[in-house]
Amino acid sequence: MLRSKTRDAILFQIGLAVFLTIILLLILLPFWRVIVTAFIPLDIYTREGIPFFLSPTEWTFEAFNQLLGHSMFPRAALNSIIITLLGTAISLVLTVPLAYGLSTRNLPGRKLLMTLVLFVYLFSPGLIPIYLLITGMNLTNNYLAIILPPAVSVYNTLVMMSFFEGLPEDLKDAARIDGANELQVLWHVILPLSKPILLTIGLFYAVYFWNEFFTPLLYLNDNDLMPLPVLLRNILISASFNEYVEYNAFSSSSIESLKAAGVLITMIPMLLVYPWIQRYFTKGTLVGGVKG
Amino acid sequence: MTLKTLPPISRSTEKFSLKNFFHSIWRQRWLYFLMMPTLIYFAIFKYGPLWNAQIAFKDFKPLLGVMGSPWVGFQHFETFVNSFYFTDLLTNTVFFSLAKLILGMPLAIVCAIALHETWFLRYRTFVQTVIYLPHFLSWVIMFGVLLVILSPGNGLLNAIIEQFGGDPIPFLTSPNHFRWVVIFSDIWKETGWSTILYLAALLAISPDLYEAAAVDGATPLQRIWHISIPGIIPVIVLVTLLRMGNILDAGFNQIFVLYSVPVYSVGDIIDTWVYRQGVLQFQFSLATAVGFFKGVIGLVLILISNQIAKRVAQQSLF
Amino acid sequence: MKSWKMIFIVCLLVVSQVLASCAPAATPTEEPAATEAPAEPTVEPSPTTPPEPVDIVLWAQATVTEAGAPPDDWVAYDIIREELNINLTYVIVPTGADGEAKINAAAAANDLPDLFQMVSANNDNRGALLRLVDLGLMAPVGDMMPLMPERVKLHYNDQLALDLVTFYGEQYGLPEPPPIPKREGLVIRKDWLDKLGLDVPTTPEELFAVAEAFTTQDPDGNGKNDTYGFGGFLNGEGLGTRFDFIMGAYGVPGVWNFTGNGDFGLNVRSENYPEALAYFKSLVDAKVIDPDWPTLTRDDFRARWKQGSFGIMWEDFAALTNKSNYEPFDTNFPDAEWIPVAAPTGPDGDTYYGVYTGRGQIFGVSQKAADDGKKEAIARLLEWMATDGYYLLGFGEEGVNFIIDDNGNISTEGLDPVQAYTAPERQPYTQMRNQLIFYNSEQEIVARYPTYETIAGRLMDPMAFLGFFQNEPWVDGRGIQVILPPANAADFNRYYTEGLIQFVLGQKELNDETWAEYLAGLDSLGAADYEAAAQQSLIDAGLLK
Repeated sequence: MLRSKTRDAILFQIGLAVFLTIILLLILLPFWRVIVTAFIPLDIYTREGIPFFLSPTEWTFEAFNQLLGHSMFPRAALNSIIITLLGTAISLVLTVPLAYGLSTRNLPGRKLLMTLVLFVYLFSPGLIPIYLLITGMNLTNNYLAIILPPAVSVYNTLVMMSFFEGLPEDLKDAARIDGANELQVLWHVILPLSKPILLTIGLFYAVYFWNEFFTPLLYLNDNDLMPLPVLLRNILISASFNEYVEYNAFSSSSIESLKAAGVLITMIPMLLVYPWIQRYFTKGTLVGGVKG
Repeated sequence: MTLKTLPPISRSTEKFSLKNFFHSIWRQRWLYFLMMPTLIYFAIFKYGPLWNAQIAFKDFKPLLGVMGSPWVGFQHFETFVNSFYFTDLLTNTVFFSLAKLILGMPLAIVCAIALHETWFLRYRTFVQTVIYLPHFLSWVIMFGVLLVILSPGNGLLNAIIEQFGGDPIPFLTSPNHFRWVVIFSDIWKETGWSTILYLAALLAISPDLYEAAAVDGATPLQRIWHISIPGIIPVIVLVTLLRMGNILDAGFNQIFVLYSVPVYSVGDIIDTWVYRQGVLQFQFSLATAVGFFKGVIGLVLILISNQIAKRVAQQSLF
Repeated sequence: MKSWKMIFIVCLLVVSQVLASCAPAATPTEEPAATEAPAEPTVEPSPTTPPEPVDIVLWAQATVTEAGAPPDDWVAYDIIREELNINLTYVIVPTGADGEAKINAAAAANDLPDLFQMVSANNDNRGALLRLVDLGLMAPVGDMMPLMPERVKLHYNDQLALDLVTFYGEQYGLPEPPPIPKREGLVIRKDWLDKLGLDVPTTPEELFAVAEAFTTQDPDGNGKNDTYGFGGFLNGEGLGTRFDFIMGAYGVPGVWNFTGNGDFGLNVRSENYPEALAYFKSLVDAKVIDPDWPTLTRDDFRARWKQGSFGIMWEDFAALTNKSNYEPFDTNFPDAEWIPVAAPTGPDGDTYYGVYTGRGQIFGVSQKAADDGKKEAIARLLEWMATDGYYLLGFGEEGVNFIIDDNGNISTEGLDPVQAYTAPERQPYTQMRNQLIFYNSEQEIVARYPTYETIAGRLMDPMAFLGFFQNEPWVDGRGIQVILPPANAADFNRYYTEGLIQFVLGQKELNDETWAEYLAGLDSLGAADYEAAAQQSLIDAGLLK
């Protein structure tokens, strides 16, 4: 990247920084509230609600203790990790070939394929038709029931296809002239150049699986199989059904704090993963391939 | 300045011959082989449910099964189209969909370009990480946040309005304001997330182009206008086309959490209606029929938009 | 780049593994799925006592959702297996709409469990049962009743409840005793009344005056204008059930007219209804009711009274007075005191506290289970839960998890606190208690709602509040259970509710003309047919003459 430090360019950079800062603040504002809510002690919360700022001496880990210390937490977290890793792996392995096939313009039957794929995108069959299929295959109480139906997202496939299309055609041609088959072209030429999009789409899938709670509730019966979002949801529901639960065992944090802490806990893995992904989000990933 | 926007229009100009056809299939045998698992997957997990979705045209009875239930033709479609609030629902749904697209997408693109252009790389990483986080806030949490900001009793925004001598505005219960609350809260939550995609697209643009522009002495704005934007046009067109196909999905989770009786007139959308009428009343055939209805509308819109995109941007999906 | 390919290869291997394992149906994943025994019936049906244990799958909601299910080595499972010859699989179904979706989906696939609880997002358990009966998925259970005499005596002793689960001449449901009826009531901050020198209001006008004083005269004396008279939130249709004491003062509590005065029908037909709305609107216009009430959830509402935001509200006795619920409020305002208040009396002398519906949990047995000859075993299980298994499933093991003191009360005195039945660790073992075990006996109620001292040393007795509430003039609205929603329920309910709210919030002007328009709109949605159908089903059920 050339950096010609003309006056215009510097002004432009200042403008950009200001713009980004405004966006940053606008987005941090609600987020800040979530953080304050998660750390607020119960007595302050019940006295005055959630203040905008929290005094540095008056905060508590109680909500986190309550969630992380739950006897089912380790199990649920492990389940979530299994579902997310397995789901993302299956999704990518199924998505990449289809996206590549669709991006190959002279593939016979490409139009038909595209039509079939788009049809699925437009017409969503809804809850019951999918449920009937899953029970018909005897997949209830099995993670595959959660992973397989949404494993290939047409949206993600087409986005990936569009990126593959954007790659220089001469690269593929060069490899083909060298006698490589399509498998080898994909392996040696396309994939190494597609790290940003593979990571992006992988992230989209991972986040979906990580947050999913409805299909686990629907398909899983065994309590030991439930992922984290289901556990967090159960804790929150429990806290809000308090008139039927008489024992004073679950109320050392407000529901609001529990909710907020739950959000932060589920975010942590994503917070860790994203900067790692960003390392590959650098300019010149393509040029390396072109020149190499 | 040459750009590599290659419209993926299939070249069917060559004379068709069976021999050529089989030859070209054979030439791509590895590709077919590679795609085979995905195709089998599609047949089972995407077209299997669609086969079951024939219950949209049937009076579905569990004991009779999908195949055994009696056909009722378009009865469920008629129920939906003739329902009391049909026009309302359709208008609200399309309004939310389009507004989110028209207002949300440019902002995401601008953010992506700003992130792409900035020299402060550490700051960029930080901003990028932070703005994508709200995507993880569920709408239930967002509702709590919005209530704190917008509540007429003790909300931050209303406190400011009152400071300046105005009357507090019940943003969440006033039909006029509710629409904007829905749109802007969605933009607020999802802009950072959509930025990722455009940023990835920007990064795929060859740096050679930028170098050439720098040599030509292009200003930053010229550079954005002539290189960055054209470079991500394919993604923009693609996302827009796909959004047109799903125009009748206006964000069930969001509306379901945010709306309340006083704003039903502007907030009720097709999916919330289906939820109240279909899913909770065991009218699965009706719910499935509405799914089909949405698909048909999406199909028409995606075909039209595809033609427009072909003309205007020389881009198309098929 | 090497590492990339490694990852890809690993993924490929994992996926091929998984796909291979999934291809032949019903093999569990390599992961934890293996811990669970398949739920399908493996026992050949035989009418006589089977030599092998009967598999029974039970779906019920949890009492404490966060606590999870009991572990596989739970002693009760062993006892049930040894003494009753039953292999019990207990699955916890989610609450509300998610639970309803789960059961409806299982019904659609004709894959219902043997014994299960009806789940309905809008609390219409009877309607949920009837839908399944009409689909032919439920088994009649009348013949099971003689097989469980004790349980019938303790749980299924309410003839009306039994009539309500009887369709086409057959009993299809097992109606569990409802949670304590008439458990909600009107309460007011006595300390605020005292501070402002006001009396307990007895009419709508006095109520308005008190609410206004609470809003404007700084009853908490903090120098800030931050209090309201009323607090509330919307639940259910129309204005919800939480303002029925206001509507009751005008003789129109609830959606339907169950008061016995005038003809049966929708209350909006009454000429008193717009009058009641006008009064409600005056509360909103004068801003003496927390302006967020139309959007608040129940949790938000509860957080607010604990923060001392308002001084008059309608609340559940346990949500208000139980120690765990009252404690945060007590900490904030040790000198504050809520007192129960009688229903206000309206201009024509009408006074109704609210409408009680008597809705409780309903369990049912699937036709599939009946076909497999499991009805007798299910009855055996249910009878055991009401007799020998009662204390084990409701509290735990005597001497370990609870003791019965000299007064015959359940107590945890002298027990290891971790083992006490009230401890969080013990909650998984008593998950069935609110659904299948408890029947509101004296002993249970004393154990559940104990008297305690507040921080300021006042004696707090939840049962005193409950007693007050129950003695108020409630309308018997149990008939609502037999009223089926109209075919266009979503549209009808929206129109009905939206219109009323618009009048109250001033989005629509309230006068004779607009009111007539509103009623005409209801009729165009088939209100008259709905009313006629409702009346007919009430007459059929013997609830209306």
